[in-house]
Amino acid sequence: MSEKKIIKTTCKSCHGGCGVLVEVTDGVITHIEGNPDSMTRGTMCAKGLSSIQHIDNPYRIKYPYKRVGEKGEGKWKQISWDEALDTIAAKVKEASEKYGAHTVATSQGTGRGYNRYTHRFSRSMGSANVISPGYICHSPRIGLYGLITGYGRLYCDYHGWGGVFPKTQISWAKQLEISSADSEMCYWYMKSLDYCKNLIVIDPRATAYTSRATLWLQPRPGSDAALALGMINVIIQEGLWDKEFVENWTYGFDKLKERAAEYPVEKVSEITWVPKEKIIEAARLFAIDTPGCIQIGSSLERQANCGQTLRAIIDLMGITGNIERPGSMVSWVLPETGLIEDVFNEIPLTDEMRSHIYGGDKFKMGAARTCNPDTIIREFIKGEKPVRVWISVGGQQIVHMANTNQVVEGLKKVDFMVQVDQFWGPMAEMSDIVLPAAHWLEIDDIYDMHPRWCIEAHNKCVDPPGEAKSDAWIFNELGKRVAPEYWFKDVETLLDHQLRKAPIKWKKFSDNIISGCYGPDQVYYKYKTDYWRKGGGFPTPTGKMELYSTVLENLGYDPLPYFEEPGESPYSTPELAKEYPLVLTTGFRSPFYFLAQYRNIPWLRSFMEYPTMQINPETAKKLGIKDGDFVWIESPRGKIIQKARLFPGIDPRVVAATANWFYPEASSKGFRGVFISNPNILTNDAHQDPMYGSPDLTCLLCKVYKCKPEELKDPKFGDIFTKEHGGRPWAW
Amino acid sequence: MRWGMVINLAKCTRCHACIAACRIEHFLPLGMTWPRLIAWETDIPGEELSTIPVRCNQCKEAPCVEVCPAEATKKREDGIVYVDNDKCVGCRYCIIACPYQNRTFFSKDKDPGYFPGSERTRFEKAGHKLYEHQAGTTEKCDFCLERIDAGMAKGLVPGKDREATPACVNTCQARALTFGDLDDPNSEVSKLIKDKNGFQLHPEYGTEPSVYYIDYKLGNAPSNVAPREEQTASHLQHLSTMEARAKQIFGKK
Repeated sequence: MSEKKIIKTTCKSCHGGCGVLVEVTDGVITHIEGNPDSMTRGTMCAKGLSSIQHIDNPYRIKYPYKRVGEKGEGKWKQISWDEALDTIAAKVKEASEKYGAHTVATSQGTGRGYNRYTHRFSRSMGSANVISPGYICHSPRIGLYGLITGYGRLYCDYHGWGGVFPKTQISWAKQLEISSADSEMCYWYMKSLDYCKNLIVIDPRATAYTSRATLWLQPRPGSDAALALGMINVIIQEGLWDKEFVENWTYGFDKLKERAAEYPVEKVSEITWVPKEKIIEAARLFAIDTPGCIQIGSSLERQANCGQTLRAIIDLMGITGNIERPGSMVSWVLPETGLIEDVFNEIPLTDEMRSHIYGGDKFKMGAARTCNPDTIIREFIKGEKPVRVWISVGGQQIVHMANTNQVVEGLKKVDFMVQVDQFWGPMAEMSDIVLPAAHWLEIDDIYDMHPRWCIEAHNKCVDPPGEAKSDAWIFNELGKRVAPEYWFKDVETLLDHQLRKAPIKWKKFSDNIISGCYGPDQVYYKYKTDYWRKGGGFPTPTGKMELYSTVLENLGYDPLPYFEEPGESPYSTPELAKEYPLVLTTGFRSPFYFLAQYRNIPWLRSFMEYPTMQINPETAKKLGIKDGDFVWIESPRGKIIQKARLFPGIDPRVVAATANWFYPEASSKGFRGVFISNPNILTNDAHQDPMYGSPDLTCLLCKVYKCKPEELKDPKFGDIFTKEHGGRPWAW
Repeated sequence: MRWGMVINLAKCTRCHACIAACRIEHFLPLGMTWPRLIAWETDIPGEELSTIPVRCNQCKEAPCVEVCPAEATKKREDGIVYVDNDKCVGCRYCIIACPYQNRTFFSKDKDPGYFPGSERTRFEKAGHKLYEHQAGTTEKCDFCLERIDAGMAKGLVPGKDREATPACVNTCQARALTFGDLDDPNSEVSKLIKDKNGFQLHPEYGTEPSVYYIDYKLGNAPSNVAPREEQTASHLQHLSTMEARAKQIFGKK
């Protein structure tokens, strides 16, 4: 008699959050589908559904290993968990005592629930050097919303709880329709479009929605601040701003007006390559057809002008009164469990810890709680040893940081590295000890992708393979060995502790699956109540929404937004542009991959076998490139191979490369193919945002030329371009 | 009654989730894809206009039914064209006859599993027990007819009730797929085809496909007022833990 049960859980295949029903028959998952009784109403994407091929994948890391050969040689010896954890703990203690706790860095991939554990671990052992991709993804937004409105999280109100949906929506450098990223869910966004009058898409390349949008603005990559300031100027010049909101609830409007006047629409059109009529129309629609919201993509945070670009866009929300109004930008009231992140905030950063944050003296906004990873790499290249022990979970710093060659050289000099991961990737090949991590279908944990209005439960459906363990378990065990006073008896106690503010324990929460604040319980117009300040107002120094930022002024930054050319562009480096004439954006994402993940999942790899670059047919014709050709993309830092797709939806002066690509099937030598197609081979860490340290990853210069057939046979590429399925031991 | 599907090309984001959902639902073996995304090309060589999701059109005048010498491909009264794999002799005439190329031959030699050289995964093994694919026969999308039949036996309505609706329709995050009865003028599919100028792919082939497409500009919504159901989030309300706290913080209600 077979035993069949249905387990409710929460997907984490992207930033996640979709409700999932998992059918388990005799201990084996036989079906996955969306949970209709969840906030995503039973829908699921290809990434989440393909988890079935993730958990059973024979190439999972199943046991702890220690390296016995050179870095990148692929020689490993299986060890016990005790040996692995004891060795790591001893290395951490040794480095702390000899060189200071700050020489122990904890790094992570994009926030996937382990944020809480990396930060708590790092703080518990006395280091503020957490290395996170936050500075190129979401942290600048959170920080700047915080600066301007006093409360760090503004989200698009896609829910209709306040009675209306957004009437005008701007999707800016963002494809929320392809993944649930940065605390918003693609399902909510697409549902809200049923009630949307104007959809304005701002994107340098055509996407599924650009041709169906009310308006599509196609800016030159890296020029977005000018576009936002130009729109602000149109709105002010035409008297379309929200007078009531601006007068009563904002600070510095007149100064912003003066600054915006430096961006007349003709000039903005020249900078951005967007026809002026379209800029004017977008500005009018957004100012007149309110309420409206702006969904901002992280491509804008991968630019050296990121801070001011976001400031300009947030000021655009402010002058149109699209703050805290139903259908506009809202900061959510948290569920009764409060801020789950408090599990690390409860160990405050001391001044001593802060003083050792790498890059903290330079990138003051970015150093709020993480260090600047590029600064660390540069220190290593100079011959310093800024980090002695590097504990990495989930992330592929080698893949997502600027200038891959330099990153690899830097990381080779770290004394001791640990990678916690599910598959062998570049970071694991670089490590001294590799620990096997469990998948979301194999763990009990709390889902909290940035504080939105709810938290959810991950419920364990099946056992992890081999000896793989959850991130919570790994950090708790490591924590107990290094700073026992801050860690817990077991994972359940740790989960109970995270829920301590609510009258609920893990077991009950696990059954409930979600705890949230929604519908009529959610509150709008908080600034008109005592919520933030007695008598109303925003929790900023002036009590107003600061269009002119007094905090930035005190930190020595320009308190008003401005546009600055990218470090490399046809205008900032015209000489360089003669040799590298095309603008390159690396912001091209696919709906079936998430960042560096899933190239080893057969169902997903079947959708895009090779990284693809988009090039306008006109440009391609001049360069003798045909659809499907492999091409070289070259910048002063190096060159990569991608497959050309002739695409009329991109400006002839611009090309787009698929981001975050390494080849999991490639050998350990060459760090799993990270030097072959990853666009960060081309990017430069020399130009960084003054506030956050974000480098120009999505706007630089390049040249493109056809790859000769014999070049693809280069032995360093292995079978990738020559054999069927790239010689992969998995297929479709 | 004639089951049909409307694919909304304006909403569809080409995310491929329908394909993944189908692969799970039917434990599809390596190389087998029932729904697909294909390039929709312009007349200019090399210039791709868009991609378009396709699956078996469940044609009213189905050439695959006519050419089948084994009477393995059959059309039901509700319009669904299906393959009886016990009868299929693998002649593949139907693959040649289908003008839309929506049929695939399942060859055993080409089925080393998704991870050749490794043991088959637990999910693949379970699939062999729960949903056997017969090597040497032809397969295609059948609108999840098991779901439709089992659901209707319980009194459920395909297209409305999840349990009786094709898996791809259920999973679509954009809600770009609509399923229902083409013969019922009041069904959601019939209304969409009428209101949004639904069209079939290559109607000139004369096979009368049951899969329709619509395309239009997004936005243009006449009103942004949220229906009552959305305002109260009634689908989640029974799970709310906030009411007491909301009262405490805001003194409301």
